[in-house]
This record gives sequence, structure tokens and C-alpha cells, in this order.
Amino acid sequence: MDDPIFIKNEGQHSLRYRSLKEWIGQTQGDPAATGSFDEFSPAAFDPVGMPVETLSRRRFLSLLSASATLALGTSACSRIDRETIVPYTRRPEEIIPGVANYYASTFREGLITQGVLVKTREGRPIHVEGNPEHPLGMGKTSLRSVADLLGLYDPDRLRGPSRAGTRTTWEEAGREIVRTLRTARDSRSAVLLLTDAVVSPTQNALIQDLKNTLPNLHHAAWEPAAPHAEMSATKALFGEAVLGRMRLDRADVIVAFEADFLGSEGNDAALIRDFAARRSISGPADTMNRLWVFEGRMSLTGANADHRIPVRPSRIAPLIFALAGHLNQKLGVALPTGLNAQSLSPFALEAVVADSAIEPALLRSLCDDLKRAGRSALAIAGPALTQEAHTACQLLNAMLGAEGYAVDASMSLPVRDLLTYAGIQDLFEEAAAGKFAVAVFWGTNPAYSCPQASVWKAAAAKIPFKIRIGLYEDETALDCGWRLPEHHWLEAWGDFECSADVLSLRQPAMGAIHNTRQGEDILLSWLRGLGTNTRQTYLEYIKARWEREVYPAGSLVPFPAYWNAALHDGVVLREAKPRPGRNPRPEALTEALERSAAALKKAPASIELVLHPAASVYDGRYANNGWLAELPDPVTKATWGNPLLLSVSDAARLQLKDEDQVRITAGSASLDVPVIIQPGQAPGVASLSLGYGRSAGNVAAGVGNNAYVLAETSAAAPLICAIARIERTGGRRPVPRTQDHFRMEGRDLARTRTLSEFAHDVAHSDTGKGHELQSLIPPQQFPEHRWGMAIDLSACIGCSACVIACQSENSIPVVGPERIIEGREMHWIRVDRYYEGDPANPKVIHQPVTCQHCENAPCEIVCPVNATTHSPDGLNQMSYNRCVGTRYCSNNCPYKVRRFNFFDYTSMKKQPENLAFNPEVTVRPRGVMEKCTFCIQRIDDGRQRANSEGRRLRDGEILPACAVACPAQAIVFGDLNDPRSKVAAASRLGRGYHMLEDLGVKPAVTYLADISNPVSGKGKA
Amino acid sequence: MKNRLAFPRIRLDLTRWQASGQQFLAYSRFLLPASVLLVFLTVIAVGWFTQPDSYVRGYAPEQPIPYSHRLHAGTLRIPCQYCHSGAALSRQAGIPSVQKCMNCHSLTKTDSPHIRKLASLIASGEPMKWKRVHNLPDYAYFDHRPHVTAGILCQTCHGEIQTMEVVSQHMSMRMANCLGCHREPKDALPADSGIKRGPEHCNACHR
Repeated sequence: MDDPIFIKNEGQHSLRYRSLKEWIGQTQGDPAATGSFDEFSPAAFDPVGMPVETLSRRRFLSLLSASATLALGTSACSRIDRETIVPYTRRPEEIIPGVANYYASTFREGLITQGVLVKTREGRPIHVEGNPEHPLGMGKTSLRSVADLLGLYDPDRLRGPSRAGTRTTWEEAGREIVRTLRTARDSRSAVLLLTDAVVSPTQNALIQDLKNTLPNLHHAAWEPAAPHAEMSATKALFGEAVLGRMRLDRADVIVAFEADFLGSEGNDAALIRDFAARRSISGPADTMNRLWVFEGRMSLTGANADHRIPVRPSRIAPLIFALAGHLNQKLGVALPTGLNAQSLSPFALEAVVADSAIEPALLRSLCDDLKRAGRSALAIAGPALTQEAHTACQLLNAMLGAEGYAVDASMSLPVRDLLTYAGIQDLFEEAAAGKFAVAVFWGTNPAYSCPQASVWKAAAAKIPFKIRIGLYEDETALDCGWRLPEHHWLEAWGDFECSADVLSLRQPAMGAIHNTRQGEDILLSWLRGLGTNTRQTYLEYIKARWEREVYPAGSLVPFPAYWNAALHDGVVLREAKPRPGRNPRPEALTEALERSAAALKKAPASIELVLHPAASVYDGRYANNGWLAELPDPVTKATWGNPLLLSVSDAARLQLKDEDQVRITAGSASLDVPVIIQPGQAPGVASLSLGYGRSAGNVAAGVGNNAYVLAETSAAAPLICAIARIERTGGRRPVPRTQDHFRMEGRDLARTRTLSEFAHDVAHSDTGKGHELQSLIPPQQFPEHRWGMAIDLSACIGCSACVIACQSENSIPVVGPERIIEGREMHWIRVDRYYEGDPANPKVIHQPVTCQHCENAPCEIVCPVNATTHSPDGLNQMSYNRCVGTRYCSNNCPYKVRRFNFFDYTSMKKQPENLAFNPEVTVRPRGVMEKCTFCIQRIDDGRQRANSEGRRLRDGEILPACAVACPAQAIVFGDLNDPRSKVAAASRLGRGYHMLEDLGVKPAVTYLADISNPVSGKGKA
Repeated sequence: MKNRLAFPRIRLDLTRWQASGQQFLAYSRFLLPASVLLVFLTVIAVGWFTQPDSYVRGYAPEQPIPYSHRLHAGTLRIPCQYCHSGAALSRQAGIPSVQKCMNCHSLTKTDSPHIRKLASLIASGEPMKWKRVHNLPDYAYFDHRPHVTAGILCQTCHGEIQTMEVVSQHMSMRMANCLGCHREPKDALPADSGIKRGPEHCNACHR
């Protein structure tokens, strides 16, 4: 057992800042400028200086009305109120009222699938977690899969088929559409089917069947955030677009080039889990991975880097080639066969260094690191980069031997063709020339995401018969005659190929809420109408295909039993022959090198704009989801919109301040956006999130700006465009951000050490923690359990999955942008983000903060009505019914984790949103204080289950929603009284400390200090 | 004489006012205490008549079907948890589904109008709306499981249900009832139970 090391950042914490305002105040020695009270200075209240463009009251109410407000005020108060009690007429035998059932299903977003468990109560889903049976996810899932529960109950969903605004029936729609398709077939006119990426083999089979029936069917798939360049590079290098799986569990050194694989571009929980597993150490003798990041914008991955080097995206491809050259020339790493060393000569490390102002010693360290790691090195290039950059990255991987080990394509499947930005432009130009008689838009939303609206409009005008299969009356639906609403994925069947050996199933966790049909069922009905003999339902179709192609021949188990077992697990493993190792084609490498050398000669734009999918709303499909709209971006902490991020130097040069409204022009398009100055952003690089600026949906409409209009469709990297002009339009546009909320005035809260410093501390065992704080209050007794938590800052990457999971589990309301500006967000767990060091390239630390459940809680002693008390199992309890809303407890809380319901956020009944409430958690009305309860409902349920079964609780049996959701396994929960529990072990680690220990409140949450792993002697980059 | 009263002087006849003022003051001494007493009595009265003991105990609403516990649970000795099967498994003991009634009544007494009503509900899928007798406020999360596991008889809280033709509420189920038993279980627990008392902290029932 380690002696507790008192890890304190002597003198460093004064350099820790949450925002540039704080940094400026600190460095200029003006405490008044940094204090959280600067927002109360008279200037802030000056009515003349108040922002002009605030949201109107009507707008706010309409925001409240949507997914923000989960309905049903409680009618509990009156005891005279006598109700009816209504049991099932026929109770399904698996439902016991009051007991949750879990169903395995699959969530799909773009090319990524995640295995999930859907928690249902009385037949309706209330929460989504990861499926522990899934070999790739292993119980972890992305935060958007958890948040999309709200999409199921979205009141803006289409509730029935309609034609040009008038409601119609499915029979009518089927008849008309089949007639039109038949006419098209007979007249040999082309029919367009535009879908999302097809990762389901059965869906693909169905589309093939449709193609056989309609020979002139043209199927294309449009995913605006897909890795198009990576696919084309891989195809050129290896012959097929087979993307290798990033084995972060095997990688010792990872170098990411403008790749946000931990954040919005990856959002595969498995990546986060594998990465974090290599960072969480118990002692300095353990090995950690090392992450190098080269990027222009400050991304979440960059925030977690051991060494982060800001560099323009246009200079990344030459940089990678230069690294390859250095590895070959100076460190003797062999090039792939057939590649001439001469072709690397235009890329000298010194030239790159001069061009991008990078410290050359750093690059040499990187190369040493990569050589040492060999096949355990992993180079990742981001989806926004050019094909050359991806080729360069593959070259590195091939040279190091990572290809085949850290990049593992042995079980990958070829990605089916996707339209590029140029491709969809061409497609719509063909359509505008009158190529298609009929078009079906299924799932994807080209009216919103196609960069040039005029191209879409022209195409839509020339297609006489347009059908939209989707969830909402969105931008594309408004241009279509027929709007056919489809099932949400939680109501639908499906199967997915995660890899060659893993098949994942999707089953409905609920019957259809509205009069919707599964998209595949709609296609099947057309097939039948066109005379093809096929199945009645998609479920039968899947089962038939599975019986033919998946069900093992010679199995002793009859197919129905096999199918049910597969559905139960949600995942099926099968034998698959691994792909042979692959070598890059030298011709493709040479071509990429030549193109890159030519591009070197071009001068870069003065400001390069990087467009990237938002961490919350992704490519825009979740824009109407209140939880995601309000989720603070992990790096900027901005909510409800997409500000333009500028580097510190560019903002100074252009004389722009935070929240100034500017007009940016790129190509022929321009946008009016607010500015945020982002520490760490490379000079000459701006960034903007995609996914906002939707016009459909009560929550989405009017929030942010549509950044797709700025994409350069014909460029090599469509999502990295050159800003021609930034001009101030005058006025300010407030950006609701949580970064300055609940600030703790520079106290030493999020502690971080480098690995060498940590080793030094341990060797010189500074037990400064030794002194016990004397307390007037006798220590509390915890006879049975004592619930506690350990949060590992090394593992935590700041993704905020915990925030969404908590919001889903505890029915936390959405309050809207105006309340966020006032600091009244309701999240029970928040992820604080701190910068440390020079704003040009700071170190970033994330710290999730929940209620600390202090043993000597300052909130408990000041409540005048005793609404908050301490339980004998270590929890700070909250009794909502006693609370009168004094808010003294929140005033006293040193961690500022208490949230007050200033308004009745949940009063507006809007069916069917109230179905998303967790029946085990009180829905709080106005005037009541709430806070993290360590998921008392789960603790109680777990205890009662163990009690009923006559056994003791097992460690890890009870986990709060945040701990289950955290893909990095950074949150450990359990019984501190059990010496063998994981949380007790974690709390004893040398890295452990409590926040604000000197106050003597004895929190039940132990934080494990963040350990970073820079190259020794280099400190933080 | 005449000169003395050259101008008609307005004389405020204070004496008259003084007299009524005094009367007013005389009454006003009692005004404040009387109103205080009135408010106090109102509060007491409202508090008295809204106590659950006075209107909840004995609440025996008429049910849409005159189901008799005296017959089923008493005479026929059907165990409570046969119908209220959630008691050991879930927070809610639950009301049996119509299907459960039909387990027997698809064969027994099928000519009774009440049973025919049940059969028609099964056929149509319409719900059976019973009148709820025992109800707690939404902020009290009562869990049947620990009580059933501890061996506490249903009759302890719900009274001698097996003698009731119409279910009536035996215990007012105020927090004092729960807490009193938690503090001093007395006879509620079986003799061989190892449990001394129930939880007394807020989170046990309130979330």
C-alpha cells in the first residue's frame, strides 16, 4: 500500500485558468479582472452595453416546449386525490411492473456501430448503456447513443405519412409510389436512392433486391462527416477501402495529425476505453502510452496530448513525409519496397520546422519515440485532411511495422462506396439536368448538408417525384412531396457488421409510438408492389437471410433458438478468415509524394478554416436533441451554437474580442458568426463546428449557423477551407458558455504531474498529507456500507459522456441558452476544463465534478428545514419535498455542485416526452434544490435485490449512471468500507487526493491526479 | 352676550367623538387577540381535518367489480403473492392483471356478469380500472421487497384483508406509521428475524 503522496502543484495553480479573461487578469496582476465577481461589475449591468441579439421570450418558451421540458407535474400533494390503479389486461410474462428489463440493440452513426443495452420500464426505454457482451465495445458506448433516447420521444417527429403537408395513409402512399416506380421502370427512367452509409448487410441485400427489380435504380450514400479522404487513400494504397482498426490497446506511442479520434470525429467508445486504459497507472513503475498531436484547431484529442504541436492543416502532409524521411535517413527505418528514397527529398525536416515554427528537437524526439515503439506506434490522420496526408500517415505506419499490428485490418470489411463532397455535387448536377424521374431520400439530409443550397434546389426542382423517408419534417422533407416517417432505431430491427467476425443485432425496445414504419419495411412494400416475391416484414427478411448465411451449418441448435439467443446477446461472433497483411503500393505513394511536393509550393491561406462535426450534435442529425444542444463542448464549453474559434494571435491581429460578431467569407459563401478566442489554436487556423444552423425542429431552429455552406466541394480537403475575409459586423452575439461557471478562484483542484515528477515524488515520499485535520465534529459512523467514488483524472479525457448519462438517468431538465448565460445550467455532474501555461499552447486538464458527498457537509448544517441530511451509508441525502428554496445550501457548498430549479423547467406537458422520465427518480418542481445523489435509486435497487436474494452485495454490482457510461472507466464507485473494493484501492493510491482538503469537509470522492507522459526533460509542450 | 358669539364657531363636538372613540377603543382591545385566536383555530381545524387518520383510515371505495378478498384470500386461502406477485420482486406489489383472474375464471363461475365483464376485457384488450385504495405521495418511494423478505405479514400494514368484502384502508400510512415501526418493530417481525430495526434515514424512502 502506497504512502499517500500529497500531490500539490506548488505555485502552479496560480497559473491555472478557465478562460482568457482569467488569464489576462492573472498575468496583469489585476485580481478584479479575474474574480468571478467581474460579471457583477457595473459595466455588466449597463443596459446600453447589453447584447442586442438575445433570444426572445417566445423563442425561449418554444425551446422549453421541446425535448427540454419533460412533462408531468406531480400530483402527489393532495391525499384526498383518489386515483384509479390500472394493471395490465394481459401482462407480458417478462414484465414485472417496477422492474427494469434490458434489451440488447445496436446504435449506428455513420460508419460506427456501438452495442448497447436499452433499459426499459413497463415497455418503454428510459436509458441506454453499453452492452457488456459486445467484444468491441465491452460495455461502453458513445454519448450520442445515450442521448438519442430523447430522439425517440421527440415531439417534433413525424407522426404519420403526409403528402405535401396533408396527411395521408400508408396504403395511399404505397399505391401512389408503387405506381410511379412501375412507370419509371417501364419507361426506363432513372430512380435515385440516396441513403446514409450502409453498414448493414441485410439492408444492403434489400437494396440489391430493389436494384434487381428496378434496373435503373441508382443508389448512393451520403455521409457528410465520413472519412472520405482516408477511404480513397486506402483504396489507392491497398486496392480496397478497408480501414484498419486502430488498436489503441497495442499502441505505446500515438501520433495524431488533425485527428480528433477521442472526440467528435471518433466517438467510438472503444477507442476512448483502450486509450485511457493505457494511461491510468497505479504507480510510477507502470508504463503509459504517449500521445503526440499535431493539429491546427484545439480538439479534445489535443487537449489530452502529452505533446501538442500547433501546426496548420495544410502543412501536415509535408510534415508527415518529412518525419518519414527523417526516420529513413537518420534512424535507418526501411521504406516500403518499391519506394525511392529520393521522392522524400523535397520534405526536409528543417524546411518543415522553419515553415511551421516547430522546435526541431521535438520532432527528433518524436521520431526516436516512433522508432523505439516500432510496430506499437500508431499514426492517425484526421478525416478532414487531404488524401496525401492520409497516404503519408499510412506510409509511416507501414514503415514502423504498425500496419498489421497497431493498425489492424485483419478483420475489417471494405467500406461501401460513399459520395464525396464533389460526388454529391456531381450527382445533383446530373439531377438538375433531369436525369432522375424519382428520388428517394432515406435518412440522410442533403438539403441541409449539401454545401451549395442552389445546387440542391436546382436538383430538387428537376426531380418530379420526391420521397423522403426520415424521422422529421426536416429541410429535405420540406422539398419532398411524400414524407414517410420511419421508426426510430429504438423501435426498429436491424443487423450490422462491425467487423468480419462480429455481427451486431438491433431489436425494438418499444412498439412504434407513432404511425411510422421501418424504412426497410417501406422498401419491402414497394418490392411487393412491383411484383417481386419477398417477405412481408423486414424481421422475416433478416431472419431468412440469417438462416441462409449466418446460421452455422450443422448446428445442433434449431434456428429459432439460435435467433433468440443471438437477440438476447445482441452480438454474434463467427469464424472469419483474417485478411492477409498488406503492403502499400509504391505507385500510390509516389503519386501522393509528388502531389504533396507540388502543394508545398503554394502559399497557405492567411487563415485556414477547419470544419468539423460538433462533439454534441455531430453532423447535424441530433440538432433537435435538447440534451445535446445544451451539452457544453468539451473544449470550448460553449452550448447552443457554434462560435468561430480563432487563435490568440489572430484575434489580437484582427482586434477581435470574445463574442464579437463577424462575417467570414470563404469562396462564395459567407456566414455571420460570433467569435471565441481559443487558447491553443494554431496561428492562422480558425475552426467552426458543423451541425448547427438547422431550420427544422423546435429545439434546433435558429441555433447556431450552418457551416456546411463554407465547405469547398471541389477542393482536396473540402472541410478545410481558406477564409478570404473576416470582417466585424458590429454588435455582439452572446455565446452561452459554462467555462466560467462555478469557478473556484485558482485553488488547487485539478492536479497534474508528469510521470518523471511523479516518480520523483514517490521516491522522495513527501507525506505532507500526514497531518490530520482537527475537527469539532465527531466523525460519523458508517456501520454497513460507505459509498464513495474515485475519479481518475489520468483516464478522464473530458468527453462528457457522464453528463449525458446522468441527465438521462435522473431526468435533468434542459434550461435553454438564456439560463446558461446566467449560470443556471442543471447538470448534476459537470466537467471542468482548465488551461495551464501559455495561451498559445496550454496544457488542458479536465475534471468531472459531482456532489462530493462530504462527511461534514457544509450544506447540511445550514438548511433551515433539514431537507438535506447525511445517511448512515455516506450519502448526502436530498429530500425534495422538504426543500423550501432558501438556497443557503448552494451558497455554502465549496464545490458549487448544487442546482436550483429557478423555474418550472418540467411543467409543460408535451407528450410523448414525459415517457423518457425515470420512474425511480422524482421530477423536481420549481423552487427545489437538486444535486447528484450517487444514483440513490440504483443503490437502493441493488441493495434490495441482494437482500431479496439473501446474499451480500458484490463490488461493481451497483454503479451510478456516470460510472457505467464513462468510456475511459475513469469513475470508480463502490463501498469504501469494503477493503477489497476497487474504489477503496483507488482511494489509497498515491495519486489520490481530495478537492479542497483543508476545508475539513471530508469528501467521499477521491481524485487521482492526472499523470502526463511527455518526453523526460521536456516538461509539457 | 351677543358679542361673544360674533362668528359662528365650528365646535368639534369632541365629546361625542370621544364617547364613540372610547367605545371603539374598548372593542379594539379584543380585536387583535380575537383575530389571532381565529387564525390559530383555523390552522388547528384545517390541520385536524386534513390528517390522514381522519379521512384515510377506513377508506373503502366501491370497486367496478365487487371482488371479495374474504372469499378469495379468506375462504379459498389463495396466498397474497399469487395475485400480488410483485411484492417480493419489485417496489410495487402490483394489482393482478385480468389474465391472472382468468387463470381460474376461464372455467369457474363463467356465467356471472362480473366474470363476463372480465372475459370481454381480455377479448377487447381494454384496461380494468380499479379504484386505488393505498396510495403514497410521489416523493415517498416505498419498496415492498425488504418488508416481504424480512417476513413481515401483509396484514401488519394492510389489516386483515382476508376478512374484507370490500378493501378498506387499515393504516393511514403516514410517515409516523412507517417510522414508528422502523424504530420499534415489536411484533411486526417474525420471532427468528435477525433484524433489530428498520432504516431511519431520509434516503431509505425519499429520493
